Amino acid sequence: MIALNNSKTWTFFSFLIALVLIVPVLVMLVGGVNASTELFSHLWQTVLPTYLKNTLFLGCLVVVLSLFFGVSSAAIITYTNIVFKKQLRWLLMLPLAMPAYLIAYIYTDLFDYAGPVQRSLRAWFNWQSPNDYWFFDIRTLPGAAVMLALVLFPYIYMLTRGAFEQQDQNLIRASRTLGFSLRQSFFRVALPLARPAIAVAASLVLMETLADFATVQYFSVNTLTTAIYDTWLGYGDLAAANALASVLMLLILFVVLAEQKSRAGLRHQSTRPSFTRELIQLSITQQLFASILCWSLVILGFLLPFVLLISMALEYSTAAQLTVLLETGVNSIKIAVIAATITVILALFFGLYQRLHQHKYRAIPQQLSGLGYAVPGTVLAMALLSTFGPIDHWLNSLLEQFGLPEPGLILSGTLFAIIFAFVVRFSAVANGTIVSGIKQIPHSLDYAPATLGAGLKRTLFKVHLPLLTPAIMVAWLLVFVEAMKELPAVLLLRPFNFETLSSQIYQLISDEMLEQGALGAILIVVFGLLPIVLLNTKKETS
Amino acid sequence: MSSLLSIKQLSVVLQNSTILSKLDLSLAQGEILGLVGASGCGKTTLLNTIAGFLKPSQGVIDIDGNIIVDESRYLAAEKRHIGVIFQDYALFPHLTVKANVAFGISHLPKTEQNQRIEQLLAILKLSELSESHIHQLSGGQQQRVAIARALAPQPKLLLLDEPFSNIDARLRNELMLEIRQLLKQVNTTAIFVTHNKDEVFTFADKMAVMAEGKLLQFDSPATICQQPNSYQVADFLQLGSWLPCQLSNNEVKTLLGVLPYNNEQSLLGEGEHKYSLLVKPSQLNLQSDSVKVNAQVEYVSVTEQGYHYHFSSLVDGDLSFTKLSLYSEEVLELKQQVELSINSHTPLVYGIG
Repeated sequence: MIALNNSKTWTFFSFLIALVLIVPVLVMLVGGVNASTELFSHLWQTVLPTYLKNTLFLGCLVVVLSLFFGVSSAAIITYTNIVFKKQLRWLLMLPLAMPAYLIAYIYTDLFDYAGPVQRSLRAWFNWQSPNDYWFFDIRTLPGAAVMLALVLFPYIYMLTRGAFEQQDQNLIRASRTLGFSLRQSFFRVALPLARPAIAVAASLVLMETLADFATVQYFSVNTLTTAIYDTWLGYGDLAAANALASVLMLLILFVVLAEQKSRAGLRHQSTRPSFTRELIQLSITQQLFASILCWSLVILGFLLPFVLLISMALEYSTAAQLTVLLETGVNSIKIAVIAATITVILALFFGLYQRLHQHKYRAIPQQLSGLGYAVPGTVLAMALLSTFGPIDHWLNSLLEQFGLPEPGLILSGTLFAIIFAFVVRFSAVANGTIVSGIKQIPHSLDYAPATLGAGLKRTLFKVHLPLLTPAIMVAWLLVFVEAMKELPAVLLLRPFNFETLSSQIYQLISDEMLEQGALGAILIVVFGLLPIVLLNTKKETS
Repeated sequence: MSSLLSIKQLSVVLQNSTILSKLDLSLAQGEILGLVGASGCGKTTLLNTIAGFLKPSQGVIDIDGNIIVDESRYLAAEKRHIGVIFQDYALFPHLTVKANVAFGISHLPKTEQNQRIEQLLAILKLSELSESHIHQLSGGQQQRVAIARALAPQPKLLLLDEPFSNIDARLRNELMLEIRQLLKQVNTTAIFVTHNKDEVFTFADKMAVMAEGKLLQFDSPATICQQPNSYQVADFLQLGSWLPCQLSNNEVKTLLGVLPYNNEQSLLGEGEHKYSLLVKPSQLNLQSDSVKVNAQVEYVSVTEQGYHYHFSSLVDGDLSFTKLSLYSEEVLELKQQVELSINSHTPLVYGIG
């Protein structure tokens, strides 16, 4: 088929915008690579080995725990007759809406020495001091890993369950005719076949863990993200922060490449829809264990912290807090709306360019714009600071030379930087949704309008965009929600005296005063639930 | 010959709807059965029930003298030693050709496994592909792997669900002959499901025609074609055209002539009052220059057997016909009027209502 369009302007702007989006990260990486060897050797002799060790250990622990939680719950839901299966099927996705730093705070509050659990134990057993008993310390690296795994395992659960459900059931039947029971067939056929999906999900979990800032900061676990934050905001050392961010970015790149390499030889997802599935009939003991596992994940990952947040909100909310909440809420919504709108417009721009233009490399702008998702918020913030900062200074000195008033930090010190960061970070989310929407449109519809005398503009506005409306709405909502939740980039890039819901909640958590902002935390969780409900409804309908 | 497979009074009810109804069937060791019938007639359900993927509501299935299903027994699929070749082959995409074939014999000693795999791969001309992955193979090669995998555990019975439907028409016949030869070589009993009666003639020793969950006729393909036992069987297999007729005084009267009829060979059911004579194209004579015309050309197409015509009768009435099929080398025009007559033969008359 011949593509419809050959506009050079479209090509120019597609490549230009994509480059602009990715340039800050390149600037940071180049800066990091060119950082003085003296600086690196100083970092290596002081803090870097510990940061690296902690980061890697945390990443491994979270992935192992999430794999255990996610794969086993997906297997139980898909392949067994567990009771309350219908309810557990969607309940297991809810922890994804809960930010890890929130449950970290809530569980610390619950389990530390002054918390209700230890208080009750001391009262019951008449213990007088910490020397009288042992109790686990949640504010440790393994504690942080458990917190992160409790909210990140749904990535693995959802993708693995999807893979199991898509598998051709004839494969299981074939295995059974070759002498293996349903249980054996699950381990010999279904699980190996789900490996690509599990690998993708595990790499997502690892990337989210490497990008996490608030949980590890709250638990005082020194990782690369906390180090970047402290180095920049604590010591004002941009070069060292930049160097650390580059190391983290290289780690992320390594994860992405390893994941793609591991998947290269595993191109075997089923293309046939599955039909009636035989279920492993669990014994009463097995039912009990399976139920305990699944319900524990739902309760610990979502229900318990959510109920505790509600009870905090009911107990401590005041009118004054509501006023602050309203102000920060409006700030959050404002930047999320702007970011979501720009991101979706760009996704449409790149997506339709890829579909309708005949340029040989028409896929590149979209691919470039999607790279930002792998960049942690902290790294992205450093990249923007190290790119926009010098531009701001250059602009100011230029205007000064002409005797004009200095505008100040118009790029790095305003909302521009946050919105830019959101657009870079969430373009991949919008791209994914818009591209799948575009794929639903038959190619014949690209050509039919031309046979009826319609030009490109009319084709886009009368055919493609109306057909893409549902995808546009979903993409906008997904980016909006992600932007509402994003924390590290906001913390580093926000202008003075500017708070969003997430930064305010984080501030309150740091000051051990979450009770004051429980209502805001509930709002963040509720916003986080929106895409889960949306995705679930879409899946059930299809 | 003793039966390898014996099915008695088998019924399957799914969601309150009867899919198989009191079906009886038996096959001898090494026999190949072709199961035909319209979509939804229960062919695949029968295969799935024999394989152990569906539980029947009643009936007995016996394989090689061992009852695998009856009122009190239900043997799981993995314990039946029945090989299945699925329509989509259901090959394990994460394994190589060799590992796919080895899948069902992993309990055997390594040397025995290798010996059996090598032998099967050699017979099926797959030796050079043993380390390939499934997505690297053509449709025909994938089918051979599916056969090798199913035969490796030396099953007592092999079930094939529309095994040739995904194969290119040019390769199909060649493959069918190869597989038939292989099954005969290893003396494996097999049942295969198809929509295509021609596949049965090439591949099977026995033929079973099903409709609405019932077995209409079970015999050799040649016998069924010569003596279809009901209007449904003859009509489904498209063995000829239908010519309305009347029965009287040991005679069959049609618009195209009269044939002697023996009541003892009657295929009529009780209470039927409309009859049709099954007429094969070879049983009709065409005279285009006759003055006693009785039919006209309604449709013409060109086939490898000559021109294919449909004729309708020139007069209306109980014996009139609308679509009588005939092949001829003679060129006729649409609406051209001709004289048709029937050759003398033993008539097959069926009640149609």
